[in-house]
Amino acid sequence: MKHNSDGSGQPGSGIKKGLTTEVYLFILVIVIMLILRLFAADFYSLNNVMSTFNYFSYLLIGAVGMNLIIITGNIDVSAGAIISVVGIAVAFVGKTNVPFEVFLPVGMAVGAGLSFMNGIFITKLRIPSIVATLATTQLFAGILPLVVDGAIYDLPANFTWLAFNAKLFGIIPSSVLFMIIIAVIAIIFMKYSRFAKKLYAIGNNANAAKLAGVNVNKTVVKGFVIAGALYGVAGTLIVTAGQRVTMTMGSGLEMTLIAAVVLGGTSIAGGSGKIIGTVVGAFILSLISPAMNYMGLSSDWSDAVMGAIILVSVIVSQIAVMTEKNKLNTMKLNCNPEVK
Amino acid sequence: MKAKELNKKKSGLSFNSSLLLIFVVLFVSIGLMNNNFLNPNYIINVMLKNIIEIGLVALPLTLIIITSGIDLSVGSIMILSAISGGIAAASLGSVPGIIVGLAVGVACGLMNGLVVAKLKISPLVTTLATLFLFRGIAKGITSGDSVYSYDFTTFMGNQTLFGLPISIIIYAVVAVIFCVILSKTTLGRSLFAIGFNENATRYSGIKADKVLITIYTLCGLLCAIAAFIYLGRFTSVKFDVANTLNLRIITVVVLGGTSINGGIGDMKGTILATLIIGVLNSGLTVLNIPIDVQTIINGIVLVISLIVYSILIEKEKNKRILEVAAMKKT
Repeated sequence: MKHNSDGSGQPGSGIKKGLTTEVYLFILVIVIMLILRLFAADFYSLNNVMSTFNYFSYLLIGAVGMNLIIITGNIDVSAGAIISVVGIAVAFVGKTNVPFEVFLPVGMAVGAGLSFMNGIFITKLRIPSIVATLATTQLFAGILPLVVDGAIYDLPANFTWLAFNAKLFGIIPSSVLFMIIIAVIAIIFMKYSRFAKKLYAIGNNANAAKLAGVNVNKTVVKGFVIAGALYGVAGTLIVTAGQRVTMTMGSGLEMTLIAAVVLGGTSIAGGSGKIIGTVVGAFILSLISPAMNYMGLSSDWSDAVMGAIILVSVIVSQIAVMTEKNKLNTMKLNCNPEVK
Repeated sequence: MKAKELNKKKSGLSFNSSLLLIFVVLFVSIGLMNNNFLNPNYIINVMLKNIIEIGLVALPLTLIIITSGIDLSVGSIMILSAISGGIAAASLGSVPGIIVGLAVGVACGLMNGLVVAKLKISPLVTTLATLFLFRGIAKGITSGDSVYSYDFTTFMGNQTLFGLPISIIIYAVVAVIFCVILSKTTLGRSLFAIGFNENATRYSGIKADKVLITIYTLCGLLCAIAAFIYLGRFTSVKFDVANTLNLRIITVVVLGGTSINGGIGDMKGTILATLIIGVLNSGLTVLNIPIDVQTIINGIVLVISLIVYSILIEKEKNKRILEVAAMKKT
């Protein structure tokens, strides 16, 4: 994580880089959509669009949370495990026939609580985030088999109300509504709030932020708690889509969330990156599998395509940064007569 | 510099001895609770054999993490190598299987190394992308089906030599080689240097790019060797085991006291951590504790060791500050 941190140090270069990445990605999205329009017009059937958007919603809500954490220069590999725990918790509550309004608060509270634990580990014990969350992944994922025997099923009918019946105009699923609300709030919040400025400052240089009067530990923990609550929302939406809830619903999801954030141009070293990039990143990732299906390609290859897109995209933006740097260096040389 | 060197050795020693202590306590207490555990047959054929693949890959991963890098794609490389080797062997025979398996492992590692060293993309991002890429290719070429063991992998996974499984002998030899690489060679020294300060290392004339490419490629090679043993032991392999392998291997390295921030690490720690995880996993099985509970116990052990380690580092730092202050006075 130490690599590469030099370039993102200046806020100016970070913003510039973010912009170009978003533009690249946006063009990519349009190209994909056009190709689909030409060769697989079925893709735009209402059903398929809505199911693609449904998956996009889970992914983006979780990825916004991951984005907050990555901006502070931390990372969270326990997100998948947290989502699994949230799922089981919500299912437990759902089994008692409570009204569906309770699900979301419960999911958010569980997510926030577990993520708070991560935050404490990282700030108070100063364990690097990747290691701390690696450890808590095993704790969270390990607790589940003790309380659940594989899966929870025979859930009451109102359990899936949120996913199947709660639709705006009878078409747009509630998950999409949640996603839009969260994304809009996040974009405004990350642009204008003082808290967001603190997050960026910590990611750029935690020591400098501390000296400037930012309570680094408190801010990082808060960031983790907000992220946890968002995982909670994502987890609740994922599990209420079925009558049967298994304990591994979220496993492996953390890598997809990180991938969406990275693809969106957020530097893994922290301090730069925008939510809008993550929105586009998550959208591309959720497009891959259905797009391949409708193009008549086997979706078995979707993971490989996803990896290739991430790799190519980071390489392209890195080459842009490197040529920019070289240009600057030669300019400096030309300006400096002593070197000549 | 000398004082620093000395200090590092001291801290390494104290951490390793506490790991050794954990190992002995676990081993003895599980042995006392169930005598079957102390049966040499069980120790060799269950406890050690079950941890070989993870242990093998943890060795080169230790080198990578010392340079402040990471490789999240190790599990995916293993699976891709096992699957492509298995497919080649099924139609062409064992020898092409071996060649393809090794070549794929090395190529994957080389690719990671080139992207990290030449394009300066952070190892975390690089290997996150290749985690999907390699696993995805494995899924694509098999369409999600299993690939089966062939003569050579069966030999690697199950053959015994002088009463010891050949996989354990391979692990022992490789472990010794890696101990020597890290502590006795210039390559090992340059790894620590890169981990402390990569730019300074470049300016001091070490070809950091070459070193990084070497160790990532080495990691790919060992993934391929581990893949042979894995395929032989389980007789068939599917793409989806890649996920759990990645994190388990990183856990072993971290438990062994290698700092994820780079510059600090020890091969003996990784080996001890491998043994601890081995004892835990098979010991808990002997005690009839279900496999599910083992994850949480692994997690608790990791958390405790991290806390202990962070306290140790804090102490060490304070000591170092005092020592530097004393040196300045004289």
